[in-house]
Amino acid sequence: MSMDEQELVSRLQEGDETAFAQIMNTYKDRIVNYLFQFTGDYQKAVELSQETFLRVYFRADKYKPIAPFSSWIYAIASNLAKTEMKKVRKLAQVSLEDVANDLDAGTYSLDSTDSGLIKNLREALNSLHPRYRIPVVLKDMEGFSQEEIAQILKRPVGTVKARISRGRGYLKKKLEKALSENSFAKTSQEKAHERA
Amino acid sequence: MKELNPLEKMQRVQAPLGFERRVLAELAVRKEKNVRRRRTWRFSLAGATAIVLVGFITLNVFVLKKQTPAVISGLDKRVSLPQARESMPSKMFQRQAPADTIPIIEPVDYSGEVRSTSQEPRTIYILEQVTEAANTKIIY
Repeated sequence: MSMDEQELVSRLQEGDETAFAQIMNTYKDRIVNYLFQFTGDYQKAVELSQETFLRVYFRADKYKPIAPFSSWIYAIASNLAKTEMKKVRKLAQVSLEDVANDLDAGTYSLDSTDSGLIKNLREALNSLHPRYRIPVVLKDMEGFSQEEIAQILKRPVGTVKARISRGRGYLKKKLEKALSENSFAKTSQEKAHERA
Repeated sequence: MKELNPLEKMQRVQAPLGFERRVLAELAVRKEKNVRRRRTWRFSLAGATAIVLVGFITLNVFVLKKQTPAVISGLDKRVSLPQARESMPSKMFQRQAPADTIPIIEPVDYSGEVRSTSQEPRTIYILEQVTEAANTKIIY
């Protein structure tokens, strides 16, 4: 944690709203993006991010500088998102995969110029169980170390390593499958063209 | 060799415009709510304590009347000994007593009975046998 951030955090712990605004400005995009990758729903991600920052403000006195401040914020966001997913699952009585796949539920419009690879990646990521998705996103998108992820998720480093490895393996398999299906569709289309 | 990470290419989303403003507005609302909640809690706690106190005083003054030791022990009912013997442990009534018992309760001051031995000179008693007879009682 940098000196500036340390000072901001101590000011935040005293209830300084300016420090809070600065912290929010630093982390808002990262947290919204992380929660979007987690929930697959932009609107939900924004709501959860707001709640995350409010908790950061009200519980700032509980933060102890033994871990990086970013890990602490991500831990709050992760817990909120997990609770939200559980609530959704309880209310709708549908599987977590179905909820995660419901990308249209958000107001954020996906870029229509997404290449095939990114589209496939998003689908694969959303079909991944949160248990594996969170560590993979934290590692490969947010750039956290395995130790930091272990702190955020409150799991042993070994468990985090295994989950990252399994998650990546699952993503790889999904992508390969999608790629082979695409190439098969392409060749059959070309053949049909030739016949015509 | 650096591992290829396709997730780096994934589309990253950003916080919407006015995100901070919304959070700060919500923060002000929550702060106000917290203050109100704390005030409500304080008043409710004080009210509950007052109710318990009033209840305790009412119970003691109006409902539970003062009882003398004789009332508490049941002696005011002039219970006959055989009846009392039935209701109480048998060892307490070894001797035959008159049918009616008049309870006499008087304060006893035992402070005069207890003496401090430390101020008196020490007395040594030498016990000696005064008779030669073997089968007679020893008199000291």
